Amino acid sequence: MMKKVATRDLSMAIALIVIWAFFAWREPVFLSSRNLSLLSVELAVTATLALGMLIVLLPGQIDLSAGSGVGLSGAVAAVLVFWHDVPAPVALLIAALGAVIVWAAMGALIAIERIPAFIMTLGGLLVFRGLHWLTIRNQTVPVVEGGSSNLYSLLTTYYLPRTVGFVLAALVMLALAVSMLRARARRKSYGFEVDDREMTFLKLFVLAQLVLLVVLVTDGYRGVPLALVILGAVATLVHQIATNTPFGRYLYAIGGNEEAASVSGVPVRATVIGAFALMGGIVALTGFMQTAYSGASTSTVGSLMELDAVAACVIGGTSLRGGRGTVLGVMFGALIMASLLNGMTLMAVSPETKYIARGLVLALAVWLDLRLSKKQ
Amino acid sequence: MSGSVVLAARDIIKRFGGVTALDGVSFELRAGEVHALCGENGAGKSTLIKLLAGVHVAGSYEGEVRIDGAPAAFHSTRDAEQAGIAIIHQELALFAEMSVGENLFLGALPRRRGLIDWDQVYARAAATLAECRIRLDPAARVGDLGVGQQQLVEIARAVARKPRVLVLDEPTAALAQHEIDTLLDLIRDLRARGVASIYISHKLDEVFAIADRITVLRDGTAQATLNARDTNSAEVIRLMVGRPIEDLYPRRQPTAGATLLAVRGLSVAPRRDDPPVLENIEFEVAAGEVLGIGGLMGAGRTELVMHLVGLWGTRTSGHIELDGAACDVHGPRAALRRRVALVTEDRKRYGLVLGQGVAFNVSLSSLAQLRRGPFLDADQEIMRTKAVVADLRIKVHSLDQPVATLSGGNQQKVVLGKALMTSPNVLLLDEPTRGIDVGAKLEVYELINRLTGAGKAIVLVSSELGELMGMSDRIVMLCRGRIGGVFARTEATQERLLAAAMGHVDRAA
Repeated sequence: MMKKVATRDLSMAIALIVIWAFFAWREPVFLSSRNLSLLSVELAVTATLALGMLIVLLPGQIDLSAGSGVGLSGAVAAVLVFWHDVPAPVALLIAALGAVIVWAAMGALIAIERIPAFIMTLGGLLVFRGLHWLTIRNQTVPVVEGGSSNLYSLLTTYYLPRTVGFVLAALVMLALAVSMLRARARRKSYGFEVDDREMTFLKLFVLAQLVLLVVLVTDGYRGVPLALVILGAVATLVHQIATNTPFGRYLYAIGGNEEAASVSGVPVRATVIGAFALMGGIVALTGFMQTAYSGASTSTVGSLMELDAVAACVIGGTSLRGGRGTVLGVMFGALIMASLLNGMTLMAVSPETKYIARGLVLALAVWLDLRLSKKQ
Repeated sequence: MSGSVVLAARDIIKRFGGVTALDGVSFELRAGEVHALCGENGAGKSTLIKLLAGVHVAGSYEGEVRIDGAPAAFHSTRDAEQAGIAIIHQELALFAEMSVGENLFLGALPRRRGLIDWDQVYARAAATLAECRIRLDPAARVGDLGVGQQQLVEIARAVARKPRVLVLDEPTAALAQHEIDTLLDLIRDLRARGVASIYISHKLDEVFAIADRITVLRDGTAQATLNARDTNSAEVIRLMVGRPIEDLYPRRQPTAGATLLAVRGLSVAPRRDDPPVLENIEFEVAAGEVLGIGGLMGAGRTELVMHLVGLWGTRTSGHIELDGAACDVHGPRAALRRRVALVTEDRKRYGLVLGQGVAFNVSLSSLAQLRRGPFLDADQEIMRTKAVVADLRIKVHSLDQPVATLSGGNQQKVVLGKALMTSPNVLLLDEPTRGIDVGAKLEVYELINRLTGAGKAIVLVSSELGELMGMSDRIVMLCRGRIGGVFARTEATQERLLAAAMGHVDRAA
């Protein structure tokens, strides 16, 4: 069991290193502070949506409308800000609330009326795309007046000042150390297997190095991007929900065996509706970041992002049948997807080739996963 | 009659990692005999069968398998099939969306000019079914059949391949008595034609009804091969368990307390406008009491307990009382809140999340009570799970061990543990000992004693009359959805229970 996990994780790390090495070799600018900073913003967008997708995939559902939803919620907020002079925080709040309600409604139709999620959200994909275009009247709607900034535009353009970045990094490291050591002590007190001291220290050390590396690299450009901090918060939240709340357990139980979950007293309907409501919030957040990253809401924002999100989940070991998947895996998967897209853009690869490459990588990743998990 | 040896396994050693599942087992099957394999779960029966079926391929074990005296090496299940070995697995492996005929011949459907010859499929299916004395429409969709009928289709499928060796792994677990009789007759027919059978069952009365010889396995070694005529079930049990079992049904009845669950004039239909399947059901269960519910397949036993927790059917009349107050339970969650827990019959389908660990499964019904703020209290969860695992003596390496890797008996204990962790007052047990070995059964019975001793009420649904008579204080026999008879423990006999189940009113009572 341990070995299987290890091979899997290792293979993902190797894939990531190969991808990075290839781009670094073909386009040395790939490893520049500036590009890595931008990559981290792109990662924040892809990974945030993928984490939402994880919550929906765990109970065996899927959300194909996520990409369209990203476009629509970004558009609603942009139109409110730019055409109706609504203050940016209020506009974001309205759009996000709307998304939560709409997704909860889709969840209710799926859970109570038993419309398959695939069909329901495929419908959503088309409806939201149409609404998106209606909302922006097929124009380009900026997220802020030229030359100024607001909360909306800052989502992807604000960078933490150096000192704040270091303080944050220190806090993150401290929190990681405390939680790891506490978990270790607890496992030990129950007589479970724990890593020995050296291993625990080594893991902490590597993690600390990684956090520090991120801060140092992004400081080489303009500092730690706000978007990356948002991703960190979302990832922590989703991880806590998935592993440490009854709701999270229910997600895994429903995906593992829905009938058994129901007989065991799991509130199946409420859980599925909750998962979609959460997805709605995450779709809106992703929509704001992606639209801010483009600078304006246009008709192509969010297009096909649902597939990148599903791909990131699957590459990260999430089962499309539900019941299996972790936040860490999804983060890895998203990093692979974001790196590929970023690298190919740097190399000025044509859009046609990009699509083909993305598709091949997805199929390859799933195939590898199946091979590796069967071998052990 | 002792024919030539068709199939022999010599000094088989099979290891899984560090675990030795078979430790030098030898086994011989003669033409025209029924040879029973007995042993507790984990004794190595399934491993031996899988080895003969080519699931564990040649080279993955030590020792040799011989067919008609010549060494045989199976590299796939197909090899074993071609050697004439047909296996009926414990788990159904049928295609629910296909017809009986298609299922019988799948993989070898008769064709004409490249296309499937449907007339021939159904004609041959009808012939095979008739040969097996199974009365079923070859065109019926398998998914529409009951579990027992599906099991018969599975058996017919094996027979359709005209095997020389038929392996039956717990074939009667889902069958009603008359279906069991059909099956045993069929095996006798095949024996008369020289087909050799390996018969695996936990039910010793069946073993003695059908077997010529019995091999008992324990801890991966063959304890003895006995002539069925020269032995008895006590000896077989002693060999299986390694110690004599004094009393198979150790029921100790405490004094009954207040009535906890009462069912009054209950009629239930599958859906709103259907005719009722359960009619005018009445019973009471008091604290400290075990109420047995029996009946033939399709009598409505499972439907009744499923309805009690709101999982099945629409009520057309009557009501349910908990603690003396009428109350409606809309689903398992509401039932658990009223401290009524159901342990379902089909543990893989309704009981377990197989891919998840022991702790995950045991605590699943109790998570709401294990919270600290919005989060799960991991300390409390682990402590309480550990207590349940120790209490029920569930054998696990760690609490994270996936339940899919546990033996049947331990899986059943996990399902029981999940129900117990919610501290129910009324426990509905649907076939709690189905497919588990004698040792685990005894532990379940002891648990029933402990629970009733602590003032819980238990409804025990079982298709085994021995278990019903041995463990219940009162027995309700269902017959086609109605009550066929109610018996106190002292007045229940096998004949009376069966008569009630078949609708013969027992006037003498």
